[in-house]
Amino acid sequence: MAIDLNDEILQDFLVEAGEILELLGEQLVELEQAPDDLELLNAVFRGFHTVKGGGGFLGLDTLVAVCHRAEDVFNLLRQGERQITPQLMDVILRVTDVVNDMMDSIRSGIDPDAADPALLEALEAILKGEEDAGTVGPAPVVEETPEVVVESAVASTPSDEITDDEFEALLDDLHGQTNSPDPVEAAAAPADSDEITEDEFEALLDQLHDAAPKQEVAVEEVKAGEVAATSTRSSDEISEDEFEALLDDLDAKKKAAAPTVKTEPAPKPASAPAPKKEAMPAAEPKKTETKPAAKIAKEAPPAETTVRVDTKRLDDIMNLVGELVLVRNRMATLKSTMTADEEVAKAIANLDLVTADLQSSVMKTRMQPIKKVFGRFPRVVRDLARSLKKEINLELIGEETDLDKNLVEALADPLVHLVRNAVDHGIELPDEREQAGKVRAGTVVLSATQEGDHILLTIDDDGKGMDANILRASAVEKGMMDEDAAARLDDKACYNLIFSPGFSTKAEISDVSGRGVGMDVVKTRISQLNGAVEVDSTLGKGSRITIKLPLTLAIMPTLMVVLAGQVFALPLANVNEIFDMESAKLSTVDGKEVVIIREKAVPLVRLSNWLVKNSGQAPAVESNGFVVVTTIAGQHIGCVVDQLVGQEEVVIKPLGAMLHGTKGVSGATITGNGGIALILDMPGLMETYASRI
Amino acid sequence: MKILIVDDFSTMRRIIKNLLRDLGFSNTDEADDGNTALPKLQTGKFDFLVTDWNMPGMQGIDLLKAVRADPNLASLPVLLVTAEAKKEQIVEAAQAGVNGYVVKPFTAATLKEKIDKIFERIEAG
Repeated sequence: MAIDLNDEILQDFLVEAGEILELLGEQLVELEQAPDDLELLNAVFRGFHTVKGGGGFLGLDTLVAVCHRAEDVFNLLRQGERQITPQLMDVILRVTDVVNDMMDSIRSGIDPDAADPALLEALEAILKGEEDAGTVGPAPVVEETPEVVVESAVASTPSDEITDDEFEALLDDLHGQTNSPDPVEAAAAPADSDEITEDEFEALLDQLHDAAPKQEVAVEEVKAGEVAATSTRSSDEISEDEFEALLDDLDAKKKAAAPTVKTEPAPKPASAPAPKKEAMPAAEPKKTETKPAAKIAKEAPPAETTVRVDTKRLDDIMNLVGELVLVRNRMATLKSTMTADEEVAKAIANLDLVTADLQSSVMKTRMQPIKKVFGRFPRVVRDLARSLKKEINLELIGEETDLDKNLVEALADPLVHLVRNAVDHGIELPDEREQAGKVRAGTVVLSATQEGDHILLTIDDDGKGMDANILRASAVEKGMMDEDAAARLDDKACYNLIFSPGFSTKAEISDVSGRGVGMDVVKTRISQLNGAVEVDSTLGKGSRITIKLPLTLAIMPTLMVVLAGQVFALPLANVNEIFDMESAKLSTVDGKEVVIIREKAVPLVRLSNWLVKNSGQAPAVESNGFVVVTTIAGQHIGCVVDQLVGQEEVVIKPLGAMLHGTKGVSGATITGNGGIALILDMPGLMETYASRI
Repeated sequence: MKILIVDDFSTMRRIIKNLLRDLGFSNTDEADDGNTALPKLQTGKFDFLVTDWNMPGMQGIDLLKAVRADPNLASLPVLLVTAEAKKEQIVEAAQAGVNGYVVKPFTAATLKEKIDKIFERIEAG
C-alpha cells in the first residue's frame, strides 16, 4: 500500500505506536529479569496487539504480520504454555528492532519490506512448539457437538473464525429460539478452531436472550458455552453452574446479569463440586460485586488532560521568551542608570518577576524525563553483556529527572557510548571478577540528579578501574606530551586523557566500543551542550564518569567580564571561584605563569591576550584585575580579567555565517546596556590556545 | 445518536471516530479505557457504545459487564471491537450481553452493517 504521509491518522499512528515500541523495548528487558510478572507480560502482549491493530487499519501488512506473530508468542507466554528463555528474548528483541526499522521507513514514506523470513520462521517455530500442546484440548469437544442448524455454514468455514452467517444464526438461536437447544452447540461445533463465526454469534445471542425460561435448554447451553470456550482449562465445569445462575437471573429479569458472568473468567476448580447449590447463592455475591464496580467508576480519573504540541511551536515560544529576557535585562539596566521614579521602578521589578516565572514555565513545557534516554540502556547493556559473556546489573537512578527536550535527544548517543565503554572496558569477565574477590556480576549505575540550574549525570561501574601510569605512558608514546609533562599530571588529569582526540590505549579497542564515536567526540558533544564531562577512577574498584549539563540550551547564566574595555560572557557553569588579583600568589613554573590556590599551582591565562587585538603584551591593569577560576574537563584554570560586571542570564544568538565555527566563541548576546557580548566557549578556547598554558 | 468510543490507543479512537463520521454519526466522545468510560456512560448521555476488548485498566469485557450491571445502562447497545473473532472471547461477550462485535481492521461499510444489525435486533426483540 502506498503510504500517504499527509494522512493525519498515519502521523498519529507513527507517534503513538513509536511510543509503544519504545516502551516495549524497556518492558521486554524487564520481563527477562522477571519472567513471572504477569502484568508485564500482559502489557507487552497488549503493546504488540495495539500496534498490530492500528497497522491493520492503515494497510501496513508487513508490520501487522510480524506484530501478529509476536503477539501470538506472548499469548502463549501468558497462558504459561511457553517459558521465557534468553533465546526467545533474542528473537523477540529482534522483532522490536525490525518493527522499529519498519516504522522508520514508514516515516520516510516508504512501504516497509516484509520482515526477514528467518525471523518469521523463528517466531513460527516458537509458536509451533506450543501448538501441539494446544490442540489436545479442543479435540473431544467436537464429538460432543453433533448438532445441526448452523452446521452447513460451519462446514464451509474450516477456519476458526466465525462467519457473519454463523453469527446471525447464533443470535437467532439465542434470541427467538423455539427449536432445540442445540444450535449453540452446533455453532460451537468447529471448536477445533477457536474463532467464532457471525452465525455462531448470532445464534448464541438469540439463545442467550430467549432460551433462559427453559431450564433444560439452559443446561444445554451451558455446555455450549463451555464448548465454545474451547478452553483447555480444567475449570470449565464451573462456568456451568454460574451460567445456570445467569440464565436463572435472565429469566427473573434481574438486571444484574453481568456480575454473575464476571465470576466466570476466573473459575476455581475447587468450587466445582456443588453445582446445584450455586444457583441460589450466586445472586448474593453478585450484589457485593456490583459495588466495587461502581466505586471504581467514581474514582475513575478524569479525561485526558494533555495536548500534543509540535516542538517547533515550543521552540518559537522559547525564542520569544528569550527576546523578552533581553528586554527585561535592558529595562533592569535602564532602571539602575536613569534613576527612574518609583512607579517605573516598581513596574520594572514586576516585569522582572513575571519574566522569570514565564521563563521557567516555558522551560518546563520543554522538559522531558531523562527516562527517555535511560530507557534504552537496559536493552543496550543486556545485549552487550550477552555478547561479551559478562554478567551485569544495570541500575537506573533518577529516571524522572526532567531535562530540556533537545538535551535529552543530544545526550542519547554520548551516553550510549559511555555506558558501552563501562560495560566493555570497565566490567571484567565473571571469572576475573571472582579472582579479584568481587561478585561475579558487575554493576553499572546510571544516575541523574538536578543540582540547582544544572543536571548531574553519573555513570559508575565497579569494574577494574584505570591505571594512571599506563595512561601516562600511552600519552607519551602517542607523542601527546613529553615524559616530564606526563609525570606532572596528577592521576585525575591522567584519567581525563581518555577524552583527548586520538587517545586510545590498546586495550581500549574492541569491536564493541571501538566503533562509532570516540571518547573525544563524546566530550565535544557534551561541550557543545555547554556541559562538562570528567572521569575519576580507582584502580581495581571501578570508574565514575560525571557529566554536568545546563537545564536548558536556550538561556544560559553567565558571568559578564570586561577585557580591555570589551564585554564577554563567560558561562557560569565553568566558573569555580573568583578572587582579586592583588591577593593572588603568582609564580612561574616551567616558564609559565601560575597562580597558587590553596597550595596548588593553577595555570594562569590572560584572556585579553587571546581575545582582544593589541591589548598590549604587558599586563597593564594587573593590580585591578581579577582571577576567575574555571574548571574545564576537570582541570582548573585561572583566567585573568580586567573587570567583573556581574551575573546575567543571556540568550544565545548564533554567530553569523561568516563567523560561524569560530573557535572559542559559542555565540553572542545582547547585554543589559544594549551592547553586544561574545559568549566564550571555554573548552573550545582552551583547546585552541592550550599550547600556551 | 451519541456514541462513546473506548480504546486505549488514540489512533484507533480516531480511526473509529472518522469511520463513524463517514456514516453520519458525528456526535461522538472518547474514553481511553473502561475506568474512564463508565463515569461518562453513567451521565446517561450516550446511546451507543463502541469499545475495544483489550485495554489496560478496565478491559472491554469488564466494561460491558459493568454496563449491564447498571440498571440505567442495561439496555445500552454495545459493539465490541476485537482483533480476532476468537470464539472463546465472543461467547464470553455474548453471555455478558454484547450486542455485536466487529473484527479489526474493518471498513465503514462493515461498521454500518454491524450497527444496523444491532438495531434490527433491538427493534425485533
